[in-house]
Parts: sequence; structure tokens; C-alpha cells
Amino acid sequence: MNDGAPSTTRRGLLATLGVGASALAGCSERLWSQAETPGSEQVSLIIKTVPADDDRIAATIASRLRENYTAAGINATHEPVSEAELYRDILLEGEYDVFVARHPGLDEYDALYGLLHSEFYSERGWQNPFQFSDVTADSQLEAQRAADEDDRPAVLADLIDHLLQTTPYTTVAFPYTVSGVSEPLQLPVPPRRLHQYLDVMSHPENGPRDGPLEVGVFGEQLTDQLNPLMVDRNRIDGLLDLVYDPLARWIDGEYVPWLAETVEWSEQGRTRATVTLREGLEWHDGESLDADDVAFTLDFLEDTSMGAVDDGVPAPRYRGKQTLLDRTDVTGPRTIDCYFTETSRSVARRLLTVPVLPEHIWTERSAVVADRQTRAITHPNEDPVGSGLFAVTEAEAATGFELEPFDAHVFRDSQDRPDLFENFSQFEGITFRISPNPGAMSDLLVDGEIDVTVSELPPEIARSVRNADTVSTVTGTTDAFYMIGYNNRQNDLGNPNFRRICSRLIDREHAVSEFFEGFAQAATTPHELVGFHNRAFDADLEDGDEMPDLSFPGTDGEINTSRVRSLFNEIGYSYDDDMLLE
Amino acid sequence: MALAEVLLELVLIVSAMLATATLVIVGPRTIAAAVLDFRWRLEACLLPFAALVVVLLLRVSTRDIVQRLERRVLRNNITPYLFELDQALFGTDPVAVLQSFQTEFLTSFFVFIYIYGYAFLLIFPFIAYFALDEMDDLSTLVVAFTANYAIGLVCYTLFIAFGPRNVDPLLFEGLLYDAFPQSRTLTNTVNQNTNVFPSLHTSLSMTVFVLAWVTREKYPLWLPVAGFIAISVGLSTMYLGIHWFSDVVAGTLLALVSVYIGVNYTIEGMIESVRRFFEAKFRPSDVEGE
Repeated sequence: MNDGAPSTTRRGLLATLGVGASALAGCSERLWSQAETPGSEQVSLIIKTVPADDDRIAATIASRLRENYTAAGINATHEPVSEAELYRDILLEGEYDVFVARHPGLDEYDALYGLLHSEFYSERGWQNPFQFSDVTADSQLEAQRAADEDDRPAVLADLIDHLLQTTPYTTVAFPYTVSGVSEPLQLPVPPRRLHQYLDVMSHPENGPRDGPLEVGVFGEQLTDQLNPLMVDRNRIDGLLDLVYDPLARWIDGEYVPWLAETVEWSEQGRTRATVTLREGLEWHDGESLDADDVAFTLDFLEDTSMGAVDDGVPAPRYRGKQTLLDRTDVTGPRTIDCYFTETSRSVARRLLTVPVLPEHIWTERSAVVADRQTRAITHPNEDPVGSGLFAVTEAEAATGFELEPFDAHVFRDSQDRPDLFENFSQFEGITFRISPNPGAMSDLLVDGEIDVTVSELPPEIARSVRNADTVSTVTGTTDAFYMIGYNNRQNDLGNPNFRRICSRLIDREHAVSEFFEGFAQAATTPHELVGFHNRAFDADLEDGDEMPDLSFPGTDGEINTSRVRSLFNEIGYSYDDDMLLE
Repeated sequence: MALAEVLLELVLIVSAMLATATLVIVGPRTIAAAVLDFRWRLEACLLPFAALVVVLLLRVSTRDIVQRLERRVLRNNITPYLFELDQALFGTDPVAVLQSFQTEFLTSFFVFIYIYGYAFLLIFPFIAYFALDEMDDLSTLVVAFTANYAIGLVCYTLFIAFGPRNVDPLLFEGLLYDAFPQSRTLTNTVNQNTNVFPSLHTSLSMTVFVLAWVTREKYPLWLPVAGFIAISVGLSTMYLGIHWFSDVVAGTLLALVSVYIGVNYTIEGMIESVRRFFEAKFRPSDVEGE
């Protein structure tokens, strides 16, 4: 039986196998090609921003952005992250695709150098958090530093134009500052920066009072750290301004000498500044402040490990300004020469605004505590020793803390002080009262327990403050702006054309009228879109002939899906089943 | 209004509710009798109370460490998943749907339930079960609460999750803190805004409700009251924009697990089994005795 012809079953089996094999062969070809060239996937972006508790407007902008991205066919996710952790993610670890955050403001066009130069590609902190690297931008950023006053506007115009084409980040709007104030306090402007505090505290009608100015703020963990070099913790805007002094302050469009008595400039060859410090400067702990402290600070920002780590551990802040400097030369206890890199004087002045740190305290903070981390950039600095007008005396973590007047400050009773010190001070120090949220802060104001609010009042709370008796609101402007930042290392966001379309997917005017309730200025002109406003500007910059179309493709905040689709199609993207493909 | 005032108001209102409920549900005579011989009653459930205190102390004392571990080391942010899970389950946002029924009355009602109703719901069973002839139910309650807090603490360390009001102000409103900002002073001292999964408000309330069912023959009147408040608390957490639907479901599951633990295990039993485990483990080296 075994020798017999193949039985029908066997023949059938063979036939089946044959058919199966050829079918499998055809199938496997398809399988192989699918395995070898995976189909395009939908573009996915995670938008990180703070929770509404920390900043309702940022959360709202991110919500709208998520909706518009989704309508454009992008798989968009909105991930709220606590403020301190958000800064950690975007500034220290580069763990994000898109973020929405309030930027504290750019002081001068040269601030773009720190924000965007590829020299800072691998540095942590506010230097190049986008991991942007663009040779054209680099050379323009360098050129604007070196250019003289006649040439600089044209260089800047090219730079801004290039940044609109490449869009490493975009600006949504410039919020107004809004403070609630309790009668009868006179408030010329909402206090955010030191000189604005001085305006309130030296107003002739405000006192004199036997007690501190009572200020309301809200947020969590506001007093956990007072380190001027750290970026990943919460802070009260402007607080460290009151505690630490720079050589000069940028106030209302001019540099006012502060710790410096005089600054003499020499522009033969490389720019050089000879700084003479005021006489009798002291730190809060009674030590004297001299030129060595200034030299120390400027070196320390470049390398907080003071040589212990190869290539150094730069500070996460002030690096853009610090790179203006070539070297310093201390020529006496009160005199120091600063030699700059190839930089015009108008840009070099920015260096004078970094806070000066006491050498006798920060030297030991150069200790390395972890891989590329020094104590200087991890230490909470809870008892800050500065040389500013106010000293921190009592930091009660949960409910608030006090700043007491620093009586040994040279401006406390000298005649040779800036004009804004006239009638200073009507108050004995400043007390910060911390509330858990804006509503509780405004309740304190209405109950008369605080004089003025300093954390931004959200529009709906500002409305209720205006409607209450004996309190009112005061509005001012600031350089701060709401920014949408892109991680240039993310697949699609590495493509400038893609970023440019993404930057159009938020209706800025609608956002200002709906989310800010009008208390902001929408970014529309070229220099506003890169984060500058309130500036007198050369006409060249306004009508760059190659200005890309950055208008919102939609109406009333919502995008027009077909228009956005054709925009993405134009730059080579395709759609499948309403999904934007990578 | 400072924290002290908010607390005072809470204490006054909740005391009034407790007094009324005690008189109606427990009865003046029973409670008076129970108070008179409090000693053995307290002794009977000393151990579970000690366990609860230990867990609560642990929670308070490790706040900073837990927060640091949660936010900076583990960093499991599950907020987007909760948002998408809610949408996937219903095809729309259940919280937004609930909030669409918003009226001034409903908001006041749910704010009241969320703060005062909740506090009342959690405290009253202690009084009611204390007045019983046996302390088994009180022990069960305390063990179940302990389990809630202990498991909740683990979840809060493992997951960062923000509630609806914090994520999307366009879709969800933060009704509680809009209507009553000072309540944040209160909730802030107890909790952080990254701790929403699971909802401990729901789980503790549902624990009380399930135990009310277990003890329905002793306190028939308490069952409907507990049920009404517990379900209202669950709804209020969503209506007020504090929790996702998923948090409430997880909270209810946590309640069931906690009650199971409370009914089936006692602290004495747990200590006993731990001791036996170690005895068994170290017996070979234990030369003395037998």
C-alpha cells in the first residue's frame, strides 16, 4: 500500500500546498514590502503648557492650539505640566514638541543671540531652548553685535525677516500688566520691576507709613528658592531685582548707573568699558562689595564649576549677555576694565545689567554635585545675600515673607542717586502675602489686607475687582509675551516650512479679544512676531519685501480646514483620511 | 478670609449637620449611653485607629518627598490619557456635558456637597458605628479608610494628573474656585492639583456608602442619606471641574477594594500574619526553645 500511487488525499494535499505556497509567495511580497517601507504615520505633536491654576491664559492658548492642530489633521495632545516642571522640561531637558509659555521679555534685539545662536545648542537654560541651528541666523546674530549704529538696523531687518521665514518660535500677544490696588494707595504703574516698586514707594501721597507695603501674589512654592541663576523653579517676578543689584539698570529706555558710579567707554579697537564702583558698597551681610565681586560674577556665569569640569558648567541664565565679554581686568578695589568681543557699545551695555553676586558666598557653590551640575545651579539660596535695596529676612514658606530695607545701601541716604529716588521711601520694607489662587488674592485686596497685587490678575478676576468698592485696577505694559516654542529636534518641527504653518494656526487677534478680554496687544508686525514691541523702529524693518504670509487661515479663532490642508500640501505634506501624514 | 475663618465656618456647619443626624439616625439615648462607656469602645478599635494615624502622618510628613518623586523623578503624566479616555468612553466630554446643565442653584448645591456634605459624610459613620454594641463596624470603617489613603498615596506618587479645570479652560470651567476661591486655601493644605487620579473624594464617599449598605439593618435611615450624598459627591467632583469621569470610576473601584480589605482583614490579623511570616523565615536560625 505504501508503494501505491499517491492517494487522492496525498495529491490533494500537495495541490493545496502548491497553491498555498504560491499564494504565500504573492502575499509575502506584499508583507515584505510593507515591512520594509512602513506606511506614513500621522503627524503627532504634544503641546506642553502650565495648568490653568498657574496661568489660565497660557492654558487657554494651548487648548485653542490643540483644537486647531487637530482640525488640521495633526494628532495633537495637550499636556499640562506644573510651572517649575515645564521650565525643567523645556529649558533643561529639551523634552517637548511644542510649548506655550509666558516669556519674561527681551530687553534688546541682542537678546535673540542668547535665545537662538547655535553656540548654545547643547547648553541648558534660556539659551537656545529650541535647539535651533541655522548658519544664516548665526552670522546675522554675530553681525548685529559688531555693526555700528548706522548699519545695525539693516542687519536686524534681515535677521528678523530670516526668523519669520524659519520660525524657531512665534509670539502670540503682549499681555498688559494688571494690578489691583486698594484705596488710598496711589499706583502710577503696576509694580513688576524695581523702578516700578520705587515709583509706588516714593509717591508723595503714599505715606509716610509706619509699616511695609503689603503686596499680594499667588502660586505654589514661590519661596522655595531664591537663586538668581536657576530657571526651573517658581518665582515672584521682579523679586530678585529688589534683592540683587547690577552695575546698571535699563529703565525707561536708558541705562542708569547703579552699583557703578561711572562707566567710561573706549571704542578704539575692541570695545572696552572702564567701570568705577560707587564708594562704600556693602553686601547684606556687611562684607564690602568690590571690583573682585564683579569680575567673579562675570567669570562664574561662564563656568559655575570654576574650572573643575572640562568645558565648564555655564549658568542657565545671562549667558547671552555674558558672551559679550572677552575678559576683565581688575585695576583697583573699585575699578574694573571690561574687554568685549567684537561688539558695539550699544549692545555691550547689556552686560552691565546682570546681577552681581558676592564672591565670598558663591565660590564654594562651584562644588560639583552631579554630572554637569554645580551647587550654584541647584542650591535653593533660601537666604539670599545681595546688595540690593531690600534684604530677605523672613521666608515663611507657605503664607508669605518680608523684605526689609537694607539701610547700608548707598542710595538709602546719599544725595547722589537717580531721580526716581526722590521721596524714597514712604514705607518700611515690603511684605509679600502668598495666596493659593488669584481669587483668594483679590479677596485679600477687597478685604483691605493687602495694598496691591503683583501676580497678574486674570481678566475675569480683574473685572470683579473693578466692580468692588474701594479697590481699582491699574494697567501697564511689559516686555513679556506669550510664546509658542518648537523643538527643532522633533521630526516635523525640524522643517522650517512646517513650523511656519504651525505658527499661523493661532488666531492672535481672536485670542486677545476672547482670552485676554482685550488686555493685551496681538503680535502682528514682523518685530512683534519675534517678541519685541513698544519700540521705535526703523521703517526698513516694517516693510521687508519678502515678508512671508503669516495671516491666520480661518475666522474667529477656528481654522478653515481646506485652506490649511492646501497650505500643508504646498510644502509637500499629504493627507490620508483627514490625517496629516509625516 | 483666611484659613482660620474658612475652617471655623466648616466646623460650625458640619457640627450642626452631625448633631442633627446623630439625634435623628442614632437617637439621643443610644449616643448618650455609648459616650458614657466610651472606654472599652475606644480600646476595641485602638489598633485600626493607630494604623490610620500612621498612614495620615506618613502622608503629611512625606508631602515634599512624594511631590518631588512624583514630579521630578517618576514623572508619569497621565493627564492626556484621562482626557482621551473620557472622550473615548462617551464620544464627548462627560464633565463638559455635566457643566452644560450649570445653574446658580446647582453650583451652590455641588459646592456645598463637595465641601460640607463630604466632611459630614466622612465623620458621621464614626459617631454612628461608635454607638453600636460591637465595634466591628467601626474597625472595618477605619481599616477601609486607611486602605483608601494608603492606596491613594501610592497612586498620587505614581501618577501626575491634572483635573479638567486645569487642562482646558475652553472646554471646562473651574466652578469651585471661581465660586469660592477661598476653598483653595483649605484644599491646598490637604492636597495638590496634580493629585486627581483616583478621586479620593469619590472613593471615601463610596466607602461610606458601601458600608452603609453593609450596616443597613442597624441604621436603615443612614443608607439613603449616605447614598444620596456619596453619589452627589462623585457628581460634584465632575460638575465642579475637579475630576475626570475616569477618576470617579477609579475612585469607586478603590472604594470597593478598600471595603473588601476592611471587611476581610483586621489590623491584628495583618500584624499576626507578618509576625508569622518572619517567624517562619527565621526559625532555622532560632536555636533556643523547642
